[in-house]
Amino acid sequence: MSTPRTMTAGAITPGMELEEVVFGPLQRVDIVRYAGASGDFNPIHTDEGYARATGAPTVFAMGMLPAGYLAHALSDWFGGPQHLRRFKIRFTTRVWPGDELACVGRVESIDDGLVRVTLEARRRGSGPEGIDLPQQETAIVGEADIELSE
Amino acid sequence: MAEEVIEFDLPVERGKVREFALAVGEDNPVFLDPQEALRQGFPDILAPPTFSVTQIWQVPREEREARLGANLDYERVLHGEQEFVYRRLPVAGEVLRGRMRISKDFTKEGRRGGSMRFVTYESTFTDADGAEVLTAYYTLIQTAKDPGS
Repeated sequence: MSTPRTMTAGAITPGMELEEVVFGPLQRVDIVRYAGASGDFNPIHTDEGYARATGAPTVFAMGMLPAGYLAHALSDWFGGPQHLRRFKIRFTTRVWPGDELACVGRVESIDDGLVRVTLEARRRGSGPEGIDLPQQETAIVGEADIELSE
Repeated sequence: MAEEVIEFDLPVERGKVREFALAVGEDNPVFLDPQEALRQGFPDILAPPTFSVTQIWQVPREEREARLGANLDYERVLHGEQEFVYRRLPVAGEVLRGRMRISKDFTKEGRRGGSMRFVTYESTFTDADGAEVLTAYYTLIQTAKDPGS
């Protein structure tokens, strides 16, 4: 990713699209690393046998891992994480090993230095064997407020 | 008798912050390099925006359930939504005080019949001076039971 730039409210306008940032392809070890870092040891994310026993074709990422990537993209778009005032996400589908995660955003409004954006993270890839998935679908929708200096 | 609020500490350890930052692919030195954080005006490296979600594991699920009494069936529970509201980001070296409560609990009728229950755990974090740092909203969705079961 790029080194954060210093952005000011004057440089952004409503309707502005934020440049797509792509993470991945997701490796199983990325899921394991996130489990250790976050403390989320639900075995459905890391244990193939356990995941299959629940009816899933294989392990999948905990939602907060792609959400962490999306927050990463967000802080890079706006010159660092310290400007973030609110980050809200809703999970719409699972993200699988082998998937890429494409993060996009759009500036909805700017009010008194507070920028409101809508966010989306799309999983891209053929998905695990045994289930039929679209090549690309929305995995997370979100919104955020960023406070910028005038 | 369920309790209203669970109180707990969230230590913001430098090594854990760095580990978490690397796990979400961060390369911004403000999360990784104390010297760079200092240069940018912070006392130490910053915790990434989603770091505080690790707090939900500070209080084990069984304890959370027993004390707050949501009475969820975890066989059909998903993490549906998450929200963070920030005054500032946590800084490595501090210990935040967390206060967790159930802020929302409602049931919605699904389109295909069967109801979905939404339970939100709100955690407010304050610093050593008692000032608010951030609030996290962790929303679980309990899906409808299979019609056949």
